[in-house]
Amino acid sequence: MSIFKIAKHVTGALLAAGLLSGAAHAEDKKDIVLGGSIPMTGVFAFAGVGIHAGITDATKIINDNGGIEGHKLVYVPEDTAYKVDASVAAFNKITSQHDVNLYYGDSTGFSKTISPEVDRLGKMVLTGASFASELNDSAKFPNIFIPGPSYTDMVGILLKHIAKEKPGAKVGLVHSETEFGRDPVDGAKAMAKELGLDMSLIISTAPGGVDVSTEVLKIRRARPDFVIFHGYVLAPIPEFITQARAMGLTTKFMGTFWSMDNSMVGKMGDVADGFMGVMPYNYYFSEQKNAPMLDKIRSMRDTYQSNAYMQGFFSTMMLAEGVRNTLKAGKELNGTNIKAGLQEIKDFDTGGIIGVPVSVKGNSVPIGRVYTYDLSKKQMVPTSDWIHLD
Amino acid sequence: MRIGTAKENYIADEALFDTNIQRGWMVALMIALFALPFMTGQYALYLICLVMINIVSTTGLNILTGFTGLVSLGQAAFMGVGAYIVAIMEIHLGTPFLLNLLVAGSGAALVGIVVGLPSLRVKGLYLAIATIAASVILHFIFANWTSMTGGVSGLSMPPASLFGMELIQPNQVYWIIMPITVLMLFGAANLFRTRIGRAFIAIRDRDISAEVLGIRLLRFKLMSFAISSFYAGVAGGLWAYFFRVITPESFPLLMSIFFLAAIIVGGMGSILGGILGAIFMTMVPEILKMMVGVLSPIWPDAVAVMSPVRVVVFGALIIFFLIFEPDGLAEIWRNIRRFFHLWPFKT
Repeated sequence: MSIFKIAKHVTGALLAAGLLSGAAHAEDKKDIVLGGSIPMTGVFAFAGVGIHAGITDATKIINDNGGIEGHKLVYVPEDTAYKVDASVAAFNKITSQHDVNLYYGDSTGFSKTISPEVDRLGKMVLTGASFASELNDSAKFPNIFIPGPSYTDMVGILLKHIAKEKPGAKVGLVHSETEFGRDPVDGAKAMAKELGLDMSLIISTAPGGVDVSTEVLKIRRARPDFVIFHGYVLAPIPEFITQARAMGLTTKFMGTFWSMDNSMVGKMGDVADGFMGVMPYNYYFSEQKNAPMLDKIRSMRDTYQSNAYMQGFFSTMMLAEGVRNTLKAGKELNGTNIKAGLQEIKDFDTGGIIGVPVSVKGNSVPIGRVYTYDLSKKQMVPTSDWIHLD
Repeated sequence: MRIGTAKENYIADEALFDTNIQRGWMVALMIALFALPFMTGQYALYLICLVMINIVSTTGLNILTGFTGLVSLGQAAFMGVGAYIVAIMEIHLGTPFLLNLLVAGSGAALVGIVVGLPSLRVKGLYLAIATIAASVILHFIFANWTSMTGGVSGLSMPPASLFGMELIQPNQVYWIIMPITVLMLFGAANLFRTRIGRAFIAIRDRDISAEVLGIRLLRFKLMSFAISSFYAGVAGGLWAYFFRVITPESFPLLMSIFFLAAIIVGGMGSILGGILGAIFMTMVPEILKMMVGVLSPIWPDAVAVMSPVRVVVFGALIIFFLIFEPDGLAEIWRNIRRFFHLWPFKT
């Protein structure tokens, strides 16, 4: 056999071996796909842009660190303009083009609409921008994960803080007349009763309503110690506080996650001073020590990142951890197993995204912290320690 | 007029399709519609179903606004009425989907008649405001009649079923949506070959003259509202079967503006205009999204950066069409047809 023939056979064998091992590698290390119906335009774009940036950065960090057990995480977003039909279109498009394992949805409406389809496909876990209490039901929504406390839990965290600060306090709840706004009302009433708080003042406002003078008069008559706003991002909260202050009320005003972005609260102006609320994550500027993930974010982006960014980042991190647990257990990657992998998360160190180790309970992560806006620092500063709900 | 299509009687003059070529195209279209589910994926079928639902509702609005000259911004609310009726009947009674859709259309038509009452006294922008008020009232009912509508959380309904088979996927629901859309379009096209349709057009062109000619404004204006709302109700029912979750926020005012924009862009007072307008308004954002998606492999952040640009381009396209063809896409289509009818003989 000539030297050329030997070389040819050896090269052929090497190539075949290489190709085969490559094929085996490709089969073993299939990409994990995270699809996303992201509202990068429309009324929720202020959050969608942040969510997208958070997911993108978390994906990059995960992949730079070897992926999820060697599997590359691929993020496939589509803009939805915060419309349910566009979100479903994006879902259909992404799932028809990719083998999707994880999905981020943009609204409660989308989550409820697509949930039966996610259950039917049985291939993925669905998370998203919604903290709706209705979704926090493992039996009804077995493939949904809420990346934080539900809205009822958020109000619960605030009530727990109030009960500790001022037992028996009088608390008002002002909510928008939307699905989002009404979400925690019943749960909040029950929890207030349990904690010995008086929550007899419940006010609902029309969506987009700007004239709140009648509602402020109701607050003046009731003179609550605390008023919790839910179902708003900014307006009409500043108007409420301005009018209440003008009437000499010393009531403390509070908000839930979507009205807790630092730059958004800053837009309230002087009335922002002392505004409180619940936030499940650390802020971008948190001074917490031993927070490598926050440090990493700050090294990647040198300007302030919103609470939506933190939500997107945390969602990706937790979903990746759920997939990691599934792969480690040698189980098939499907919705049921990934969800089980998520529910196995116990005392997980988020690297400073949340100040204490977190655990998944049911569909959610019921933890949060109360912050107060300090006008002199122009920052939300922690007022409580991390509060867990059982 | 097309060469070689001389009409010898009124029936021929009023025929929907006056040449064999047209009939041939229509047969080809029907074959294509029946073959579509076997040739396309779920994503494409999803969009096709969505387009068809929008076509039904847009056609309804076109009957009212384009043909009768009564401006309405309540179309989404009428769709909501239809959607809730279908959901309630499907959940509580489990009646067949065809009956549910019929009741949805009839229920919406009744509501439409009530909402249409102010049209006897007010026109134009004033009527538009009256219909907005009606849609606010309906929205309030959707959100607060909790025992029936599920309140702000809305209703989740079971899928439609045909011969015991559940119609869940777009390629299954398509078999409800497509035939009903075709039927409704033929109904609308035929409407304007009847005395009723011509009365609508007469009212649009000059209501006082129409009344002098013996057209009773009360009856025909309310009839136009009823027919338009019937279309919206059926479209809402189809929407309900398609998404299977209905909340008060599913049918916002913005959706009514969408349908109004569709008939303006497509061409008011033309059935084809309503179809083209609905296709344009539904598909152009998706096509622009696909174009942005093409950039993603070479520009990873294209989706984030280009999404706002996409919205601007969509808006600019609408303005472009309105400036260069105020009679809508239907007129562009007619110009293209005229060109080929006369080709190669230029007029």
